[in-house]
Formats: sequence, C-alpha cells, structure tokens
Amino acid sequence: MNLSSRKTMWKVAALSVAVLTAVTACGSGDSGEGGGGEGGKTTITFAYWGSDARQKLTEQVIAKFEEKNPTIDVEGDFSNWDSYYEKLATKVAANDAPDVLSIEIRGLSEYAGRGALADLAGKVPTADLDQQVLASGQVDGKQYAIPTGVNAFSMVANTAALEKAKKELPKDTDWTWDQWMALAQEISGAGGVTGAEYNFNPAFLQIYAAQRGEKFYDGNKIGVSPDTLKSWWAIHQKLIETKGSPDAAKSAEIGATGPEQSLLGTNAGAMGMWWSNQLNALTKSSGSEMTLLRMPKLEGATTGGMFLQPAMFYAASAKSEHSAEGAKLIDFLVNDPDAAAILLSDRGLPTNTKVLDAVKTKLPETDQKTLAFIDEVRSELSPIQVPPKGALEMEDILKRNSEEVMFGRATPDAAAQKFLTEANAAIAG
Amino acid sequence: MSESISVTPERALAPKRAPDQPPGRRRRTPHVNVHRRREARAAYVFLAPWFIGLFVITVGPILASLYLSFTNYSLLEEAKWVGTDNYTKMFFEDDRFITSLKVTTVYVVVSVPLQLAFALGLALALDRGLRGLSFYRSVYYLPSLLGGSVAIAILWRKIFGTDGLVNGLLAVFGIQGPGWVSDPDTALGTLILLHVWTFGAPMVIFLAGLRQIPQSYYEAAAVDGATKLRQFRSITLPLLTPIIFFNLVLEVIKSFQSFTQSFIVSGGSGGPVDSTLFYTLYLYLKGFKSYEMGYAAAMAWVLLLIIAGLTGVNFLASKYWVFYGDSK
Repeated sequence: MNLSSRKTMWKVAALSVAVLTAVTACGSGDSGEGGGGEGGKTTITFAYWGSDARQKLTEQVIAKFEEKNPTIDVEGDFSNWDSYYEKLATKVAANDAPDVLSIEIRGLSEYAGRGALADLAGKVPTADLDQQVLASGQVDGKQYAIPTGVNAFSMVANTAALEKAKKELPKDTDWTWDQWMALAQEISGAGGVTGAEYNFNPAFLQIYAAQRGEKFYDGNKIGVSPDTLKSWWAIHQKLIETKGSPDAAKSAEIGATGPEQSLLGTNAGAMGMWWSNQLNALTKSSGSEMTLLRMPKLEGATTGGMFLQPAMFYAASAKSEHSAEGAKLIDFLVNDPDAAAILLSDRGLPTNTKVLDAVKTKLPETDQKTLAFIDEVRSELSPIQVPPKGALEMEDILKRNSEEVMFGRATPDAAAQKFLTEANAAIAG
Repeated sequence: MSESISVTPERALAPKRAPDQPPGRRRRTPHVNVHRRREARAAYVFLAPWFIGLFVITVGPILASLYLSFTNYSLLEEAKWVGTDNYTKMFFEDDRFITSLKVTTVYVVVSVPLQLAFALGLALALDRGLRGLSFYRSVYYLPSLLGGSVAIAILWRKIFGTDGLVNGLLAVFGIQGPGWVSDPDTALGTLILLHVWTFGAPMVIFLAGLRQIPQSYYEAAAVDGATKLRQFRSITLPLLTPIIFFNLVLEVIKSFQSFTQSFIVSGGSGGPVDSTLFYTLYLYLKGFKSYEMGYAAAMAWVLLLIIAGLTGVNFLASKYWVFYGDSK
C-alpha cells in the first residue's frame, strides 16, 4: 500500500514535469522561425506600424500578393507606432526578426549600421523608382532599404479659418518668417482661433538651418550653429509673446499628440507644420479644407531649405531564411500597380513613375492636392540626407532642450550648448 | 536536519531506536538511508516545476542582466565587454541619470509619507464603527487597483490638462490654472497626487492593525481622563508602529519602481523638461530608445542596490521607533 502510494506520487511528479516541459516547448515552438510552412508553402513575416486604416489596407495588399504568389504565405505583424521599434529591436535581439520590415529614415542607419538589414541591390528591381529618392535608402553605398513613397515637411493652413479672420492666403513663394509670425498674431487677435501652433520637429530646424546655409547633419556631427538655434527659438518665443501661438505649457500638451488632436485637427488653429501625408489625417479629423504651403523663408535666403523625405522604407532582415520571397514581396509593394491601387498614398506618394501614372486618377482629392503641391515644389527641394545612427533620439533631445528655453529653465545660450553636446553624443555613439 | 521531518507509517513501524544511540548513527543505517534518499528525490521532482520557473524565468535573466551591465549590449549586436564603463558613465557623465535620481527621490520622499498619512487618517475615520464599513473599504480600495493602470494615467492627463476638469473648476472661481501636467513646475506634483490617491492598500492594512488594538486600553485611558488626541498619541500610534513600518517599507520599494504614471502622463518622454523622468522610465528609454541595453542593465542593478540599501536603513532605523508589544 505504501509502495503504491509512493508510485502514484512519482507518477504525479513526472507528469507535472512533462506537462511543464511540453508547455514551454509549445511556447518556443509557436514563435518559431516562420519557415517551412504546410503544403510546400513558404511563410514570411512582414512587420509594419500604423493606424487601423493602414492595417486594413495592408491586409488587403497581402491577400493580393498571396493570390499572385500562391506558394508564399505572408503573415502581417502589426503594431502601433509607439511600440514598433521596441518590438522590432526585441525580435532582432531574439534572432526572430521579421523577414520583411518597415523602417523610417531615422531608424535606417541604426539598423543597417548594426548589421540587422540585408543589402537589397540586385534583389529588388528599382529601375522605375525615383533614383534620387532611392538613394535615401542607401547606407555606406549599400541599398538596405527601398522607399515606400515621399513626403515633404510643409506649412499647412486652414483656408476657412483664414477667411474668417479676413486674411488672405499668403503667397508662399516669397513669404518670410516675420510675415508668418505677424499673420499668426493677427489671426489670434481677430478672436476665434489661434494663429499658429509651433513645434520642435527636427525637420523644422533642418529647413531653418538650411536657409542660413547650415546642414543639420554635417557628416557625423551636428552642423547647426548655436546662433541658428537661438534665432530659431526666438521664433517660438515671439509666437508665445504675441499670442500667435498658445503658451509653452499648452503647446507642450498639444505637441505630445498627433495630427488628430492638434489645433489644426480640432479646428482650433489656422496654421501648423506637418508632413504632407498628414494632410489626410488633418482634413479628416477637422472636416475643414486644408492647403499645403511652402515654408516661410529668412529674408535674403538663397534656398527654401525644404526637402523630400521617404515616408518610410521596406527592408529585409539580414538573417532571413527566405530572402528571395521577402524580396518578392517588396518588389510587389513598390512596383506593382495592383499594390499601389490598394495602398494609394498611405505610405507616402509612390515614387515609381509607372505605378504613380497608373493610380493617379484613383487618388482621393486630398492626395491629388498633395501630389500637385510636391510636383510644384519638387525642383526647389534639397537632396535627401540619411541621418546618422542615433537620429532616432534627435527629436527627444531637441524637444527637451527647446522646452527648457520656452519654460525659462535655461538660457538660450546654455540650452544651445547642451543640445549640441547631447546631439553629437547621440550620433557619435 | 531535524529527525522529525516526516512521520510515515513505515517509520512508525520501524523498530524504536535505543535511547542511547546518537541520532547521527541512525541516518547511516542502509534502510533509512535509501528511504530518505527516495523521499528527497520525490521532493525535488515535485519542486522541479518551481525550480525550472525560478532558474529559467527569474535567476537566469537576473544573472544575464548582471553580465550585460558590464557590456555595451545594444539589442541589435553582440554584447562586448566594457568593464565598469556603464557604471562610471552613470555617476560622472550622465546628467540625465542624476536628474532621474532627483526626480524619483523627490517623488518617493513626498508621496510616500503623504499617502501613508492619508491612508491612516481614513482608516481611523472608518474604524469608528461605521455602518457599511466593508462597502466603504472596497470603494476606497478601488484607486489602489486602478492607480497604476494606463487608463487612469490617461484620465489624469485629461483631468489636469490645460482645458481639463481641474482648470474648469478653477475657472468658476475666476482662477486661470496652469497646464498642470505640461508645466514643469507642476507636472511632478500631479504624479505625486496620483500616488497619494492610491491610498487603499495601506489603508486596508491600517484598518486591520487598528482592529488588533484592544478596546480595553481606550476604556482605561478614558477612565483616566485622557483626551481623544492623547489616546491617539499614547495608544493608537505606538501600537500601530509595526503596521506603519510595514507599509513604509512596502511603499518605498513600490514607489521607487513607479513607471506607468510618468510613462503615460508625459507621453513616454519624462517631460516636460525631464520634470517627470522617473528612474525606471529613463532606464526604459536607455534600453529601448537609445539601444543601450547594457547601460540600462547597469541602471537596473544600481536601482536594486538603492532599494536594498534604503530597505536596510529602514530596518535599522526601525529599532528606534517601532514598538512591538511583546518586546521589553
């Protein structure tokens, strides 16, 4: 009797160990390499970020791809923007990187430079893509990423709000920062809406610095001078003083949100600076008509400083076991009019001229407007610069030091020095 | 090992050992030896699931992070040994690290005593034999369950926004409130308030502690003419010190590890101007935003040392103020 009870005890113990190991095994097996697949199919994963709308479009485009390539099974790996890089970095660290992934220009050097991405030259046909834009996907001469489409950081104005304040839509070919600030003040003064919302987007500083003949990234150093930073902050300060913009606290509050919560997006402001593909979101959330304008200039500046930037890129993991299938998916996404017919301008306006011609007429009104605007300013835009490693942090560093100035926590001189030290350290590291 | 470890029927049936036989000898007899070994083996097999969990999920990663803290691990590349670089950089070169330490210290030093005082106050009020006590207890405990959640942090951001509820109320009295969470002067204050608001857990423990104090003490004191205040100071407070101590240790550890509130309220940046840059938030930013996982691991170990040190100090200091009824 005794013996039998001991036996039972052993059985129970062994069983519980077996169950536990089985559970662990399932756990690790489940998240496997995505290889093999059943019925001779190859499974690849495709990681991307974005809104629910983008997820729907992407699911459609994946279905289309699978229809054309019955032997490939694509698993979409969707996450929201905030957690995208955390998830990606963790997966790369765990040797479980997605075969195909999305990345934006600031993350490109980080991932390419650390050997996480595969060279796509010769694997994905790129002859029909805008070659200048294509070059923005190169790091150290290797084509690590293929741009999905283009964007320009520009001034967005709510036409109805301007009319209400009895202001003319400014002629943007030669307007200056002073004129823009005066306009913002007058609109605020007329009551109703706030004239402008400011931001600390590095793209804004990059444009402003270019107008002063400085590069944001000069090789592996920050090319912006302390004087430029100070006069850039002076714009923000003047906007606050003249009530052309909300005060520093309110601005910090809106600055932390996306286009939907912005002054423009909520019909509470007349002007703001956004990426051109955000025109859609701004128009939709406000329900008002928006216009894209060139950025104002410094008096006497020889260049407007605006630049074309890929909205994002497709890239492939260096460790992917299915690089051929991954390349096929990227090829489909950028070169096939069927894909473009679904995605339209969701990932920026397509840069494949043939594809663009095929879908041009299908684009909704807002996108037509963006396309017309980019075509109009294209000749004035500066070539694209791939920011160095560490650029992902630039936005935070700039925002932090700018807010120190706006809240009076630091003098512009001290903050400028601090920004340069921190920014240079970030891209050197 | 004591001899009375198990009383199996087998043992009961075994011949009684002579009283003069030393216990050690008995263990060496073959029969018992086998028996014991079997028993031990069974114990280990039963413990195995827990051990696997401990080593794979807890101890393994802890040791790995200790190793990583001496490397320049970036998540994307292989880790390279850099010695104590991360640690020296932290204390001598990284201003933001020092800022995060300051912010966290202020947060802990201000919010923990406030929260405990609040919890004790409410516990005293509820202990007055209120009808429906369990209902109130649940209601006041709710924030403790919700306080660390993302939803509440988002709600907090709305309530204390420039156009939020608080400023709406102030506007009624003609006061123009600041942007509580977006102004660096007040942002940390709102987070402290959020922490104080989660007073439920310590309150429930205080309530239990108050119930332990014999009613006869108060009766005796009342007979002697002691005022309520005097009763509180001379009876309630001293007898409650072990509970206060327990809550203090717990809350200090917990609030040093606060993350969600600042992550959500500041939009993941620790802003405005680093005024809400909690230690754990900075650790996270270093690991996942700057790709300095080695540095983040080093920060985690420093945090562990800080918390261990503070807890040690707490225990040492407790000798001077905590009164256990049975001592002396």
